[in-house]
Amino acid sequence: MAGAGGGGCPAGGNDFQWCFSQVKGAVDEDVAEADIISTVEFNYSGDLLATGDKGGRVVIFQREQENKSRPHSRGEYNVYSTFQSHEPEFDYLKSLEIEEKINKIRWLPQQNAAHFLLSTNDKTIKLWKISERDKRAEGYNLKDEDGRLRDPFRITALRVPILKPMDLMVEASPRRIFANAHTYHINSISVNSDHETYLSADDLRINLWHLEITDRSFNIVDIKPANMEELTEVITAAEFHPHQCNVFVYSSSKGTIRLCDMRSSALCDRHSKFFEEPEDPSSRSFFSEIISSISDVKFSHSGRYMMTRDYLSVKVWDLNMENRPVETHQVHEYLRSKLCSLYENDCIFDKFECCWNGSDSAIMTGSYNNFFRMFDRNARRDVTLEASRENSKPRASLKPRKVCTGGKRKKDEISVDSLDFNKKILHTAWHPMENIIAVAATNNLYIFQDKIN
Amino acid sequence: MSSWVQKGSSGRLLGRAYDLTALRELARLPQSTNRYLFRAAQSPCIPYRRVAMEVQKEAQRIMTLSVWKMYHSRMQRGGLRLHRSLQLSLIMRSARELYLSAKVEALDLEAPSPPARCPDPRLHPPREVEVPAACVPPDGEQPLPEPMDTQEEEEAPPRAAETETLVRCSPRPARVCRKRRSSSLSDGVDAGLVPSKKARLEEQEEAKDSSSEVPDCLPPPPAQAEGAFPNLARVLQRSFSGLLSRGPAASPTAPPARDAKPACRPADPMLSVLVRAVVAF
Repeated sequence: MAGAGGGGCPAGGNDFQWCFSQVKGAVDEDVAEADIISTVEFNYSGDLLATGDKGGRVVIFQREQENKSRPHSRGEYNVYSTFQSHEPEFDYLKSLEIEEKINKIRWLPQQNAAHFLLSTNDKTIKLWKISERDKRAEGYNLKDEDGRLRDPFRITALRVPILKPMDLMVEASPRRIFANAHTYHINSISVNSDHETYLSADDLRINLWHLEITDRSFNIVDIKPANMEELTEVITAAEFHPHQCNVFVYSSSKGTIRLCDMRSSALCDRHSKFFEEPEDPSSRSFFSEIISSISDVKFSHSGRYMMTRDYLSVKVWDLNMENRPVETHQVHEYLRSKLCSLYENDCIFDKFECCWNGSDSAIMTGSYNNFFRMFDRNARRDVTLEASRENSKPRASLKPRKVCTGGKRKKDEISVDSLDFNKKILHTAWHPMENIIAVAATNNLYIFQDKIN
Repeated sequence: MSSWVQKGSSGRLLGRAYDLTALRELARLPQSTNRYLFRAAQSPCIPYRRVAMEVQKEAQRIMTLSVWKMYHSRMQRGGLRLHRSLQLSLIMRSARELYLSAKVEALDLEAPSPPARCPDPRLHPPREVEVPAACVPPDGEQPLPEPMDTQEEEEAPPRAAETETLVRCSPRPARVCRKRRSSSLSDGVDAGLVPSKKARLEEQEEAKDSSSEVPDCLPPPPAQAEGAFPNLARVLQRSFSGLLSRGPAASPTAPPARDAKPACRPADPMLSVLVRAVVAF
């Protein structure tokens, strides 16, 4: 099966053989706007997978324990908890509706039996505690089994309540609400490696919070010009360094990345490092400015590299080299000649995310037509795969896809004009340690696993 | 072409050196969203001036589309998004610059000159530089859109020039050829957009030229701000109006001023349309 599926060339880098594992979500052709997944994130152990959608809901999947009777099948992800994180709000002062769409979810490292995550919409960040309850106390003296208070005069004897097992119940409760700190729309949150602070970034400002303190935050970056007419760029993403708790980066709409060190000053308006690749004049076009806008920035797990995603490419930067990236991978270069049409249908504004694998040897990002791309940094190979219901047989290998850019279309190739630009994969996540990936295709969540082992 | 673009009326108005690459880029824009026209062969039948006209129309279309998108973005849930607005304004500015470049280019090519009739291709690269430097007759009152009855003079040299410049990018010229035919259908639509406003705006332009208080001539922006982003309408209005008033005034030397002034004036109605559209929000 592996031979037939992969053909001569393995499907992916590092000899990955990606196979379909699961798909979550409705099968309907009619997609409700509220069900569109807007963020996907594994936790630190990879046992939990959280998704947020446009309706403000968070759904958490938990990986089942390995089944000893079927050692070859990996643990599946099943729904663990679902809760409404954010509700639509109305800003009366500005007469604006605040969308409940979850922009980002970030897990906190686990410190006790409960799990904590941060979820944010455009204006408010919430810290949620997800805890299990599998026992309850029975035999209270002052109240009945159904909760009603007993008449004190009827109590003739005392008893000690005992704990009895019950069906597992997973509760999610908001422990902190960090509100009213952002004038513009929040695009990123990032938990610091000190596990005590985190940052939140909107279009013009970045704020530093302490997880315990909700009524105060420190502004560490402010790029708002004195005269808004002079505005030329906005912040598009920000992230803390995975190991150095004083370092963070933020990307801009002009395709630049700034690395800031919080030790140098309280306000990090002046960067410590400035990463920018000089523009190639031969590729300059009418839409060059807007396609150079960086939509996502992610540090590698090692902390040595970072990856940025702009509209057509993914770039890997060495933190020690500011003048150009060490790697540039084209995601869908065939779209460069279509930019005007993509502007007309608003696809040119899509914000794609990207992610590293656990060992930093491979990177992944999404594209259109439910395609996603994987780049093996060591073997210098890349592959295009598709998340579709047609390939959804259990443990079916994913076949590499190819887009035909002109000339004769070979069999199994798809031409650029046939691509469905409504089916876009903006959010993907890679398990921190194993080769399991979660791919969000509109309202469906696909989980693929590496067949080997 | 880069050189005279930078010598425009004001450094800021045509500050970006959009050269022929950009014009060609626009020239090969597809007519509709769903049609991607790939052409392998060049077509020598289109005079270069027509290319410039097509580019103008495309730029106009993109500007209109951008304004529509900006309006639409205010209606969506969550209000005006700063990043999106910034990107739309960048596109509008680029489209405006290209429009102006193409406009001047088209005006330059209209000017008849006997040496230009020489079909020798070797003369064309220098000629391309010379023509813009020549005095453009102050035909600022020429109405928009480009009149269809303009004679196709100098067909051979512009064609050769176009062939020369377009040879680097193979898929485009044939598309331009196809485009010319189909765009004539849309001319009526485009023409409808601008001339009806031009009559009203002509009076305003007189007022603008006489007084430097440009913002006063335009209706005040609506009271309702865009929420978080302070008054995009006012920002765009001031930027565009500032450029309108600064345009003829900030020219460093006389010939560029003469070049620029007629270049600016015919475009004024388009810019004013834009400003009006934005202000109306």
